[in-house]
Amino acid sequence: MSTIKTAPPVATEDAPTSRLSRVSRLQALQILILLVVTIAVFTALRPDTFLTGFNIRGIVQNTAIYAVLGVGMTFVIITGGIDLSVGSVLVFSGVVADKIMVAYGGQGWGTVLVGLVAALASGLAWGLLNGVLVAKAKVPPLVVTLGSLSAALGFAQIITKGLDLRDAPKTLVDDIGFGNIVGQVPTIAVISAVVVIIGIVLLHRTRFGLYTYAIGSNAEAGRRAGVKVDRHLIKVYAFAGLLAGFAGLLNLGFFQSTTIGGQSNTPLNVIAGVAIGGTSLFGGIGSVFGTVIGLFIPIVLQNGFIQTGVQPFWQQVVVGAVLVAVVYVDQLRRAAAVRGTKTRLPFLSRTGSASRKGSA
Amino acid sequence: MKRKSTAIVAALAAVALGAAACGSDSDGGGSSAGGAKDGYKLAFVQGVAGDAFYITMECGIKEEAAKEGATVTTQGAQKFDPTLQTPVLQSVIASKPDAILIAPTDVSAMQQPIAQAKAQGIKIVLVDTTLNDPSVAVSAISSDNTAGGKAAFEAIQKLAPNGGKVLGVGVQPGISTTDARDKGFGDAAKADSKFTYLGVQYSQNDPAKAASIVSAALQKDPDIVGIFASNLFSAQGSATGIRQAGKQGKVNVVGFDAGPEQIKALQDGTVQALIAQQPGDIGVQGVQQAIKALKGESNEANIQTGSTIITKDNLTSAEGQAAAYKASC
Repeated sequence: MSTIKTAPPVATEDAPTSRLSRVSRLQALQILILLVVTIAVFTALRPDTFLTGFNIRGIVQNTAIYAVLGVGMTFVIITGGIDLSVGSVLVFSGVVADKIMVAYGGQGWGTVLVGLVAALASGLAWGLLNGVLVAKAKVPPLVVTLGSLSAALGFAQIITKGLDLRDAPKTLVDDIGFGNIVGQVPTIAVISAVVVIIGIVLLHRTRFGLYTYAIGSNAEAGRRAGVKVDRHLIKVYAFAGLLAGFAGLLNLGFFQSTTIGGQSNTPLNVIAGVAIGGTSLFGGIGSVFGTVIGLFIPIVLQNGFIQTGVQPFWQQVVVGAVLVAVVYVDQLRRAAAVRGTKTRLPFLSRTGSASRKGSA
Repeated sequence: MKRKSTAIVAALAAVALGAAACGSDSDGGGSSAGGAKDGYKLAFVQGVAGDAFYITMECGIKEEAAKEGATVTTQGAQKFDPTLQTPVLQSVIASKPDAILIAPTDVSAMQQPIAQAKAQGIKIVLVDTTLNDPSVAVSAISSDNTAGGKAAFEAIQKLAPNGGKVLGVGVQPGISTTDARDKGFGDAAKADSKFTYLGVQYSQNDPAKAASIVSAALQKDPDIVGIFASNLFSAQGSATGIRQAGKQGKVNVVGFDAGPEQIKALQDGTVQALIAQQPGDIGVQGVQQAIKALKGESNEANIQTGSTIITKDNLTSAEGQAAAYKASC
């Protein structure tokens, strides 16, 4: 049968410098340029306050939790899926962790560790459920995660009777939520950076990442090439859930509250960051690094607008415009690139090699 | 193609710049005019942007600040939510104002971020809402919300003298002001044997949710005589819920606050009474306390302002007109 020959994943190892790999590198670069330009503009407008240690620290802190969610979301979107449930899973995991930490008692690292295990387990459970429903039951990811968005928040409200829990142990709040690892470097940002680096390595340097791209490019081709597509999809959603659970614990440390009413926009903000960062919502293309930059852009814009005294409602308008414009530019370039390389279009090798170069 | 996309990136930057520029203009150039030599630079962080209560407070703040020669910048998040207010506050702190007047959106979640502001040497005044530990602020100014809740029950007593079931529609637990209102209302209702208190349901500040709570509550207890909706959105939603259930005229809604929509609802008869706070007064006193602190004078740690009951009868009077909130300064 010809099927065996059509989609060899080995091809990804070769094809070192296709046009797309250069383009992909350019993509991450352009978003980075946009970020740098934005920062430069605000620095010029508010030279004495914008680029200060305190402000940078604030921006980084405010991006940290989104970045943890963004890593998982990038994987899910690269498979061609979506995860709307991250905000609710975050809340649910925070609630479970809070309850268990209170039951365990104490304010120290031991309690935090117990909370960590609880948060990760809760997140993982929701992620596995999402994954199984998407991969095995073949329910579209949008519907599955819309369902778990609602259900996870509902369970959180049942457990708490709708009242936010505020019993985060002191260590979690003072050392992780608001602490510094050295000098003025916030712990929460370092933790988030570690997650991001793990995400980058996992996506661009491992078989796990390669399969993720493969499924998003062409699931059938992946299957014929020997990728266990269903199992891998479950793993990807489980990974996203695990990170949402982890974010739940960080959130508890940062806000000292389970923020039950406060996460309704979180999945959309994270998806916006992923899209601005150059990950295709059709799957197969994307990078974790781009996502992090993409998450920084709205937060830097908001911060800068507040400092320059822009009426609050303008912030939403501009963030929306930036999102659409960046994705449009990306689309134009991809269309051109596809036209240019039309003669040889092996989806697997294209995205595989593109991702490798794009990661730097 | 490369050139084209570069151009678009440049255009985006221009859009951002343009918005920044025109935004400052439409804001009355508040921050850009901050160079006045003796004028203190004040910042006001609203609980939520675009709410008549906070706009009226902002008017009071601006008026009083102008008298003192101080400049004011106002910022607020899109929802009454600590996860959204924290980044707004952090940006405001970074812009280095002399004092911040803030309405914290959560008694505990906003504690640390506000403590950070104090650590930067900024004087804090809490307006309207407060914190678990208000000692980070030089002064906390708010309505006497317990008395306000009690006044709401008194309004229901007058509207439904025969008694019956009463329900509270709250925002979400953990907001000091609405908690106190709900408590004031609940305590007063429990003290009167003619009335049965059904407790508080929380709308999460979502009018649609308040509407569904009220229509469901009316399914369960069709004989409810009074509903106390402890903030703007809850009252809007409660009125909708009563319309859904076809109970207009049978259920008395007492709203808290007196924004333009509330006044309209009162005129239309969907809401029978309003408890108006004095946000303008809170703003004025907030600025006075901030300036005192900046000048090194002693502060009053706690200031409570009063409230007014507005019904159809006194709406057109001078008292009623003064109590109504403003949609713009």
